[in-house]
Amino acid sequence: MKVTSSRFSHKTAFVVDHCPYMAESSRQMVECDMLTKSRGQGVIPLAPVSKSLWTCAVECSMEYCRILYDVYPTRKLVRSYVHYIVSDSEFHSLNSWRQEDQSTQELMAALASVGPPNPREDPECCSVLHGLVAAVESLCAITQYQHEARRTLMDVADRVANRGRIICLTNAKSDTHVRMLEDCVSETIQEQNKLAAGSDRLMPIQRCELVLVHIYPQGDDTLVSDRSRKELSSVLSSEVHSVRAGRHLASKLNILVQQHFDLASTTITNIPMKEEQHANTSANYDVELLHHRDAHLEFIKSAQPCFLCTGDLHMAGSTSRDSGLKETVTLKWCTPRTNNVELHYCTGAYRISPVDVNSRPSSCLTNFLLNGRSVLLEQPRKSGSKVISHMLSSHGGEIFLHVLNSTRSTLEDPPSISEGCGGRVTDYRITDFGEFMRENRLTPFSEGVLDASGRTSSERAKAQLERHTRYWPMIISQTTIFNMQAVVPLANLIVKESLSEEDVLTCQKTVFNLVDMERKNDPLPISTVGSRGKGPKRDEQYRIMWNELETLVKAHVGSSERHQRVLECISACRSKPPEEEERKKRGRKREDKEDKAEKNGKDADEKAWPDSERLKGPQEREKEEQTESEMIKDSPDSPEPLNKKPRLMSEEIQPPQKSKGPVSLLTMWTNRITATSRKHEVFAGRLNSVNNKAELYQHLKEDNGMDLHENGKATR
Amino acid sequence: MPTVVLMDSSLSMTRPVSQEGSEEFQRKNLAVHGLTMLFEHMATNYKLEFTSLVAFSSLWELMVPFTRDYNTLQEALSNLEDYDKTCLESALHGVSNIVQQEWGSTCPCQVVLVTDGALGIGRGSLRHSLHTLKQRVEDKKFPLPFPFPAKMFIMCIANVEELQSTDAMDNLEQLIGLNGGEGQIFTMEGPLCLKSVQSMFGKLIDQAYTPFYAVLHCGNLASDVQVFPRPEPVLVDEEVDPIPKAVQTEVDEVGAGTTEDAEEEPSANQMAGKSPNFCVLLHGSLKVEGMVALVQLGPEWYGMLYSQADSKKKSNLMMSLFEPGPEPLPWLGKISQLGPISDAAENPYGEDDSKSPFPLQPKNKRSYAQNVTVWIKANGLQTDVQKILRNARKLPEKTQTFYKELNRLRKAALAFGFWELLKGVAELLERECTLLPDSAHPDAAFQLSHAAQQLKLASTGDSQYSAFNHNITPLHTDFSGGGAGDRM
Repeated sequence: MKVTSSRFSHKTAFVVDHCPYMAESSRQMVECDMLTKSRGQGVIPLAPVSKSLWTCAVECSMEYCRILYDVYPTRKLVRSYVHYIVSDSEFHSLNSWRQEDQSTQELMAALASVGPPNPREDPECCSVLHGLVAAVESLCAITQYQHEARRTLMDVADRVANRGRIICLTNAKSDTHVRMLEDCVSETIQEQNKLAAGSDRLMPIQRCELVLVHIYPQGDDTLVSDRSRKELSSVLSSEVHSVRAGRHLASKLNILVQQHFDLASTTITNIPMKEEQHANTSANYDVELLHHRDAHLEFIKSAQPCFLCTGDLHMAGSTSRDSGLKETVTLKWCTPRTNNVELHYCTGAYRISPVDVNSRPSSCLTNFLLNGRSVLLEQPRKSGSKVISHMLSSHGGEIFLHVLNSTRSTLEDPPSISEGCGGRVTDYRITDFGEFMRENRLTPFSEGVLDASGRTSSERAKAQLERHTRYWPMIISQTTIFNMQAVVPLANLIVKESLSEEDVLTCQKTVFNLVDMERKNDPLPISTVGSRGKGPKRDEQYRIMWNELETLVKAHVGSSERHQRVLECISACRSKPPEEEERKKRGRKREDKEDKAEKNGKDADEKAWPDSERLKGPQEREKEEQTESEMIKDSPDSPEPLNKKPRLMSEEIQPPQKSKGPVSLLTMWTNRITATSRKHEVFAGRLNSVNNKAELYQHLKEDNGMDLHENGKATR
Repeated sequence: MPTVVLMDSSLSMTRPVSQEGSEEFQRKNLAVHGLTMLFEHMATNYKLEFTSLVAFSSLWELMVPFTRDYNTLQEALSNLEDYDKTCLESALHGVSNIVQQEWGSTCPCQVVLVTDGALGIGRGSLRHSLHTLKQRVEDKKFPLPFPFPAKMFIMCIANVEELQSTDAMDNLEQLIGLNGGEGQIFTMEGPLCLKSVQSMFGKLIDQAYTPFYAVLHCGNLASDVQVFPRPEPVLVDEEVDPIPKAVQTEVDEVGAGTTEDAEEEPSANQMAGKSPNFCVLLHGSLKVEGMVALVQLGPEWYGMLYSQADSKKKSNLMMSLFEPGPEPLPWLGKISQLGPISDAAENPYGEDDSKSPFPLQPKNKRSYAQNVTVWIKANGLQTDVQKILRNARKLPEKTQTFYKELNRLRKAALAFGFWELLKGVAELLERECTLLPDSAHPDAAFQLSHAAQQLKLASTGDSQYSAFNHNITPLHTDFSGGGAGDRM
């Protein structure tokens, strides 16, 4: 397996030399008294100041950390930690592997308390070695992440790796001195690994990368030679960089942070910006950003020899102005069009860090993005079409470089969902499900919040989804209660995990209200779409409604005793008790006779209706005839009517009942027709019927309803 | 993911297969038979995937560019002509170019190489290519590994014994090795006949072209779904040794969030609703409400569902997979910490949907959002000093800003151990004090000398004055009217 440099990046230990010689001047002068030139005679300008080697080392290492914390506050799963150690006559640890310590502000405060090296301290007592030893020891210490990983992988705890890197900023005497430092690190690792092997709190170091940076003042000759990476042992590799203090050191550490953390550079060019002095003119500026190199995947790959890539792309290899020799990819700013939401296929988003964070162009760009604007970036090409390959945009105070797919997508021309299963159904409860989704939206809760039964927040969210979907008809024609405003208070409450007394009362009120509606014979919103005629009769509608309401409440009856009470209330109040079906079976014979008697007595003509009429809706007509006689009996106070039974029953029972007595030729013919018709109508419709209500003429709806669904213009 | 079928059309493919009694077959006929089977399978189970056909001998030719039309592929296959010798390297270059031109270099692809295992002779043969692997100059590199993620399946119209009698098997294995081990060699078992070629392609189908079926759950609502393209297992390579993660076929919908950040992350898959209702319902509501649904694919692996419309107004349900992990989108926080809004004291979205609990702000601001001090370049330092001087000349009006800038500089100088700068700026302030015009407010002189003195004290390193968190506060004077600058 390829070991990338970032595999060492979980732990980085900075060791900065704090010995007296680091107080020496870098001899890079900074003129900070700039205004005096315009201020006439007699003013003696302040002498330029110079940074010490220490100041140079500290500010460059802080810059390294700044970029690191910007780009990797979380490195996918793993955080990158920095342990900052300074070393003189002893070591001073400025922070720890703890998450809270990982910020530049914390480090700045700790550095201030250490202060610059004391040039009068006895150089014999001081050495960077103390810091290096401490760094090795700290690499053996377990970080928060490693601890958690070991805990979650109990059985395979040894799979948790322990690799790290030590970056040592020092002023070495000679190559021999450097060798001595390396040997010391190597020996310490061996010792520490022995210790760690016998400890639960320490982990042996598997791989360690030592990066020694020798800093010397400007104008001096270096006493230490550069050396590329060399394996010192199976655990330790080491490299030496000899760098002049000041700007050279800064660019060296900038290159190192890129190498160590798989970063790449993008320069945004042609950023239009108002001139400070002349507000009405604007000039174009460039801003260089660092980010994970995967944001350049498309460029890196196409840089391979490939004769189809015509070399038209102007990219890598151009030297960025700021950072010496390193490569940067230039992308052109595209002035954003207002309010034009363009969705692009985004194949990745990477955090950025500006190279020159507090320069005016950088802060203009970052403020623009932090204020919620997005910028599309275009590949500059010498000719041909415009290719937008990236986008800059911020989320929650962090700026991301988004990679946009600029080639053909394998997802092109997808089939419409209406071509799939269920795509032709047109009366989905789109609006209701939208409301359902809004009620089930998620929001962050603080870490470790568990409820009484030990569920995490997301487990509670899933439990809520489960409760809310126990009874949830997906299409409008499958439900009555969810089409009724009057049921809403109960429907909203019953899905709750627990009910208060007040909730129960509200539910009961809802039930009483429904009873009231039934007494007043209020119409119910039973879907009649696609069926000719008036649909089921009023009492039948209420029966369907009560059954459905019971189904809903029964689904939640196990939640609590209060849920149970809501069901009891319904059972007590509804026009038909739930035992109805049972009693029906017992009293079937009796009812059949009653039915027959009624029919024969009331309307002998009925059987003589033309067949065509009969096919349209024999049940409906039959019911209509009965309505009036049943109306009065159906009030809650009156005794249970004997002839009330589901349509299904009457349908099934009719033929045998009729064949009992002597029948006329007409009756026989009619029965035959009914039986035949059932093969078609009843079979197809009943299959999809809900609560015994078959939906007719579905094709009519399909033609009308398709557009509704396709355009998503469901009305609320 | 797209497939390139790379068909060997060299003369050796026309070698007859010895068969008793029945009509005589060429190896090519067997290859075509196997590919027909593959195409038929894809036309039924993989109809949203793209496939192209490349024929090669010493040259290569793109017979059918990437298409979902398997009839065209089939037709081209049956009209294949026979050419000269096998030269795999140039053909692989061809494949590399075709894929990159069409899909770029990030889209994963499958390459199905169909060959009889006679891999050419002399220059251009695979043996020659592999022998000269280490002597290549930069622009004549061997095409493997492909610049895009690719799996290479080698279908040999030959049995193992035949391949092992020459170095063909070794060479093919080396080829897979060059592709980072991504791929597999299939050989025919038993006599070369229609039956054994069917069985070989059957194995390929099982290995690489099984449709991905899953069940989408939302509480008690559920729907069977098929996902295109098939989500592939992901290798999680972190400080812990790599652990492969596979998408679980039971997909759980966790809940819904708003689409304010609707971007397609890593890979997007089309879900074709196989069993009806719930998917269509969900899609319809997501579309109307402009929402996305969070979906759980496995332990600590999440994605999102949303409605996506193309330019033709056709819309369907898309699933985007996030990178596996507990916190795939930093601005949502940890997914396990997302709970139902009904648990919150008040609706975080507001009663009229005017608010949102997202995006979450990171604990520490990024450097570009917090006015950090960087003096690596001289002009960074100069700007900061000038800011102080500019405000110094406008005292007492600018007392607040003056001390704010002064304290910012002080903090940075202390952290960087840059005491010399503190002394320098103190001197500058003292000089400013002497240069004050007669008309200057008397408070200005007091504040300047006070500030200069404080900086000097800080530069001594005396812990009483050089504490990092200490701020220099404006001097209380009779002129400052109750300390206008006290409230820093």
